[in-house]
Amino acid sequence: MAAADRGVKHRAPRRLRRGALTPYLFLVPGLLLFAAFRLYPLLDGLRLSFTNARLGRPQYAWVGLANYQRLLDDTRFHASLWNTAFYTVASTLPILAIPLVLAVALNRGVALKTFLRSAFFFPFTLSVVTVGLTWLWLLDPVVGPFNYYLRTLGLPTRSWLADPYTAMWAIILTTVWWVTGYYLVIYLAGLQDIPGELYEAAALDGASGWRSFWSITLPLLRPVLLFVFVTHIIGSFQIFGQVFVLTQGGPGDATRTVVQHLYETAFQNFFHFGSASAMAWVLFGVIVVFSLLQFRLLRGHTEY
Amino acid sequence: MNGTRVTRRRFLAGAAAVGAVGLPGVARRAVAQPKATISYWNGLTGADGKVMDELIEQFTRETGIRIEQQRIPWADLYAKLQVSVPAGEGPDLALIHTIEVPHFANDGVLEPIDESTVSGKGFRADEYLPSTWQGGIYQGKRYSLPLDVPQHILYMNVKLMRAAGLVAADGSPKVPASRDELLVMAKQIAKGDTYGFAIGTVNPGKYTWGFQNLLWQNGANVYTPDLKRSALAEPAAVEVAEFFGAIHAQHKVAPPANASCRDAFIAGKLGMWIAGSWNFTGLRDAKVDFAVAPVPRLFKQPVVWSMPHQYTFPKPKALEAAKRDAAWAHIRWMSDHVAEWTLRAGQVSARRKAHSDPRITADPVLKTLLAQAPNWQGGQPTPKWVAAENLTRPVIETIYIGQKPARAAMEDLARQINALPE
Repeated sequence: MAAADRGVKHRAPRRLRRGALTPYLFLVPGLLLFAAFRLYPLLDGLRLSFTNARLGRPQYAWVGLANYQRLLDDTRFHASLWNTAFYTVASTLPILAIPLVLAVALNRGVALKTFLRSAFFFPFTLSVVTVGLTWLWLLDPVVGPFNYYLRTLGLPTRSWLADPYTAMWAIILTTVWWVTGYYLVIYLAGLQDIPGELYEAAALDGASGWRSFWSITLPLLRPVLLFVFVTHIIGSFQIFGQVFVLTQGGPGDATRTVVQHLYETAFQNFFHFGSASAMAWVLFGVIVVFSLLQFRLLRGHTEY
Repeated sequence: MNGTRVTRRRFLAGAAAVGAVGLPGVARRAVAQPKATISYWNGLTGADGKVMDELIEQFTRETGIRIEQQRIPWADLYAKLQVSVPAGEGPDLALIHTIEVPHFANDGVLEPIDESTVSGKGFRADEYLPSTWQGGIYQGKRYSLPLDVPQHILYMNVKLMRAAGLVAADGSPKVPASRDELLVMAKQIAKGDTYGFAIGTVNPGKYTWGFQNLLWQNGANVYTPDLKRSALAEPAAVEVAEFFGAIHAQHKVAPPANASCRDAFIAGKLGMWIAGSWNFTGLRDAKVDFAVAPVPRLFKQPVVWSMPHQYTFPKPKALEAAKRDAAWAHIRWMSDHVAEWTLRAGQVSARRKAHSDPRITADPVLKTLLAQAPNWQGGQPTPKWVAAENLTRPVIETIYIGQKPARAAMEDLARQINALPE
């Protein structure tokens, strides 16, 4: 009996262990790819950030925290951090609100709903370069239609992208136009998950449209809002394409962002991989801190 | 049209030859002489790229050497060379700008070329314009051979100049003789969204090549003659920066910092335009009524910015003699056919022989470009030239739009350049 018991006891965990391994085996191909193409470059970047590595030079030396120290004195890096933060803050409200308003309107069943949904989504199917070039032409100060119509209407014109006060706003406008459709579709999915009975009950209790929006729609959309908020913030910190095509960081450094500064350091100015890696890790740190803050702020109230 | 006809005729001639010789003969020849295929990278992404395609096709037909061409925008091309050559994945031949030679040579991306090889392949210094021939040499070693000389020229929109009454006695547009006169003339042309003067193709606010042209006219430069520190905070450079800011921020005669001057000129919204010689074939295609003149002397000397294209051999992992020979054969062939390149792509050749071609001397634009040769100047031979240029772009833009005063901006720029790592 005892021997049999022991045998059973022994066999059970082994079977468990074998069973526990199965999911990991299924994960192995994905994990290997993740390790090779995500984890390894990430960690190698961290290693490089402590060296004076330059592309095309085989030898490099360990320089400790020198690259990070240099960032403390790099006024253009500070400017790009500030611009990135400005872009992130200034673009958040329009990017959260405009698709939401459109989604609520489309969810109510307006005419041409399917057409409008596709029309709003269409810009998002374009690459950032196409979007950038389109807006570059639309906003061209001399031959662009934007200024042409302003002039026709007798309104003052500007060179929107060459004016330090309007350039970042023009980039935000371009981005909003580009990504609205994507967030719109996500919001629509979220809206369709809200049970209709809730609105019915609210209507029976005499709630107005606004009241049901504030008390039903918004609270129940919270997980979707959190998703949009977090992905937008992460994406904003990494903004590059629009800036690169529209202004190349100009005028002066008025729209220079962290990723652009990093790119130029790595691939244009002397191919300083060490220095650029340090910038990437500082940016990574900033994004992690912000993401944790967002989750902490919104976690307790969210039902998934 | 012409090209198609030639192709068809050649095709028919080829077909007749095959018929006469018989297929086995062709097959035997192909086996006996396997021709190399070489990779060739360049940044000829404009109309000139199409011309290069056609010339390469002709070269392949005549020599049997195949060329796999990659046309990449210049900035990306340089990044790509820097990445791929050390990995042994570079091309067999690359066309680059002269100012890229020092840093690529310094980083071991380019292979030095023996002078004996150069002369052995039939290239002689006296066949070339001296500045272009010298441009291939860095620290006493040759790294490249010049093809052509992109440079600046003054374009004038005939209709706008006439409307403003700016014509000489013979009815041709008047050419400004000083920067004061230029400003006066530009003000006469400028009206609403029409501008009097610009320097630069697109983004005139950060057009470093134009800024360099003005610097050199004033005897200033990016680095001191010993190349040890930046000379951009010196009075002559600051004077240039002040003019650069004045044309847009102060006098409003130049288009906004991010305007496309080329589009504005084609649309008849820009009167006088200092820009690259590579624009003129496009202006002809767009049927713009324009005249040209040498770059006017706006400061002390009538210097003309120029930037020869150079053939280089990126360092291979292991040298294949057949490929290197094929690359040499292409350089030789292009040098012999450079008149075609000049006529169709609009780039004046570095080799003198083509300059007396009657088709070239009969062209008013090409003639003007050639006449500028004594005034050509290029960048300084330092590996830090390109990095300094990248730093210069945003700074001159702040001057152009009047965001920063010229002196403070130039002092800051000089500081940034001096802080560039070794």
